Amino acid sequence: MLLAGKRCLVTGGSRGLGLAMCKAFARHGAKVALTYRRSDQDAADAVKAVQAESPTEQLPLHFKGSVSDAAHVQQTVAQLTAEWGGIDVLVNNAGVTQIVPIALLDEADWDEMLAVHVKGAYLFSRAVLKSMIRQKRGHILSIGSFSSERMIESPVHYAAAKSALRGFTEALGREVGRYNIAVNLLSPGLLDVGLGQMLLPHRIKEYVAQCPLGRLGTAAEVAEMAAFLVSEENTFMTGSKVVLDGGL
Amino acid sequence: MTTPSLVSMDEQRAVAPSLAQGELLHQTTSLCRQCKNAVPAQVCAQPSGEVWMYKTCPEHGAQQVRLSTSADWYQKTRAIKPYEVPPKNMPRQIELGCPFDCGACTQHAQKVRLPVVTITSACNLDCPICYVHNKNEGAFHMGVEEFQNILTHLKAEAGGDVDLINFTGGEPTLHPHFLAFLELAAEAGVHRVSICTNGIRLAKDEALVKRLGELGARIALSFDSFEKDADYLLQGAHLVQTKLRCLELLEKYKVDTTLIPVMTRGVNEHEIGRILEYAWQLSCVRHIEVHTITYTGQSGTSFDRSGRISMYEVLEEIERTTAGLLRPADFVPSPCAHPLCYQIAYLMMDPSGGKPIPLTRFVDPETLYECLQDHLYIEPSRRLEAAMLEGVDRIWSSDDPDAERALHLIKDLLARVFPKERAITQAEALAVLERASKAVYVHSHMDEETFDTERIVQCCDSNCYADGTTIPVCTYNILYREKEPHFMLQPAVWNQRSGGQRAVPKSLPVVR
Repeated sequence: MLLAGKRCLVTGGSRGLGLAMCKAFARHGAKVALTYRRSDQDAADAVKAVQAESPTEQLPLHFKGSVSDAAHVQQTVAQLTAEWGGIDVLVNNAGVTQIVPIALLDEADWDEMLAVHVKGAYLFSRAVLKSMIRQKRGHILSIGSFSSERMIESPVHYAAAKSALRGFTEALGREVGRYNIAVNLLSPGLLDVGLGQMLLPHRIKEYVAQCPLGRLGTAAEVAEMAAFLVSEENTFMTGSKVVLDGGL
Repeated sequence: MTTPSLVSMDEQRAVAPSLAQGELLHQTTSLCRQCKNAVPAQVCAQPSGEVWMYKTCPEHGAQQVRLSTSADWYQKTRAIKPYEVPPKNMPRQIELGCPFDCGACTQHAQKVRLPVVTITSACNLDCPICYVHNKNEGAFHMGVEEFQNILTHLKAEAGGDVDLINFTGGEPTLHPHFLAFLELAAEAGVHRVSICTNGIRLAKDEALVKRLGELGARIALSFDSFEKDADYLLQGAHLVQTKLRCLELLEKYKVDTTLIPVMTRGVNEHEIGRILEYAWQLSCVRHIEVHTITYTGQSGTSFDRSGRISMYEVLEEIERTTAGLLRPADFVPSPCAHPLCYQIAYLMMDPSGGKPIPLTRFVDPETLYECLQDHLYIEPSRRLEAAMLEGVDRIWSSDDPDAERALHLIKDLLARVFPKERAITQAEALAVLERASKAVYVHSHMDEETFDTERIVQCCDSNCYADGTTIPVCTYNILYREKEPHFMLQPAVWNQRSGGQRAVPKSLPVVR
């Protein structure tokens, strides 16, 4: 199995793409832990769904808190390290969606967006690097967005945060490559979960019309790509971004 | 409330400005008030600023009626070109001329946007302003097969799903199987079914209201007044408490509702602001459709004609009674009809209870008009979205003291359409958007006096039959319904009122 025995932590793993990745990782034989911020019910449902995918019915671990809260990050990583003896894979997936034009974009919105996407990736990456450096191996994968790859309509704080993750990926990949740690960025297009689920019909129609593959992506497709990127099969890719958007 | 005095035709003639003084705006074909034969008519602006229609029936003499109190508004509105989408199914060749070849005939310029299906002739009221004919003795109730045939024709005309159907009567809730009709419509892919009702049965039957909510029905509730005397004068019964109870249940079961007040000069026009503000507080109310009184049907024909009120007067009354919250400039015509038939304004609602904000504060009227081209109701679109964004930028970059509240409303709406907590479905997002605004329609029906064929060929509201015939509602009310045994114990016959004589020159359309 692609991820047999791998110890994987996915932030924002209780729903949407995060949940799809947890399920895919479990299906490929990984031990999975997820973090979530709000809904205990969603997390409970996610735990069951991920367990159901595991060939050994392994119960995933779950931690409640904000990725931008340093204490939560420290506690989560410490507990996981104690439980598993180390962490092989971190996926910085936790995010926040807010659709607002610049005129309505308050400072608090900006701060929250950057805190969740950028500070969260920084805090969790730094926290897991200790065990990865000791192990001299690891994968850090951050979830970007096609909105930072194309000049498309997108809330500026969201695009800025996702773009920041590209710089973060390249610089961190350069710095920790010497420890055999790969750092990559996976940027999906519009998917059948999250924003793609909420957008009004005319917006979906427009996207599909411009997409060479003529449809939205699925969370399962992105999750499979993520599973490859964090596996031992990915032996020589770091500091890279993979855009999965149907050719937009 | 002041009780209007009865104004005879002679008295009306006496107060009307003379044709000679007026400036001709346009010519059209109208009807004789007496015999309903087609007559040529001239529409003139008077020095007073009013617009009058003048016509002469060879048998019944000169007639005139005031169409508007503002020639300026009338001309500017009439000049707006409708967005014409002619019906695909036009079974009638022109034989006698409009309005005697319905329909639709090859001259008709608009497809049916609001199919009206009259499912029963029975009614539990006898309103003094009733503009149709009803029959309780041996009442007609439409059969399932007949309704299915209507659905088949409507689907063929629409080329797929039907956006909207309106059930009317009589009182449609008296049809023994009207709930089954709702289910049939839903199965046939009809997106919305509205039911015109006086609310009496609904106020007494909570289970029925609950079921209507479950079926996604929309209720169009007549609601003319809060005042006892005005209510009685217009509805012939004391119904204010009944209507309020009905609305309480509609609110409880979240049944989308349109309130329909009929404005009558000297009776209830001063209440329009109060009715609007009441409707704005009810989350179930999606639209308010203000009708101007029309003098057709079993009772309307004999109702006091001094109550006649024009579209522009209603717009002015709305401005006056809402303290300027809604102004005439906030309204645009429906592009799907003649511009003098419908005026529409949209309001953004404030969930925190503040005053609503007209959509035209964000979007210019031309854009709002464009966005309404394909539907009687506004739908989310790229054009509307872009216009709203431009509106937000304009308000944000201005020094408007109200800017902050307006911008807060938009941001709050966006947060509800795209919540951070969880991904909602597309249908939920559309529902949030729909509930974020309310529409105010002003709809002016015509009667024999005000009839104008220029308007009728643009009509998009039609009574629909099982054989595919569609008859524009105003001609149906004036000419066709009274000839149907379904609705009349003694149906009228064509030309009966004029003694069967050709009443107009051969060059003009004649009654058959």
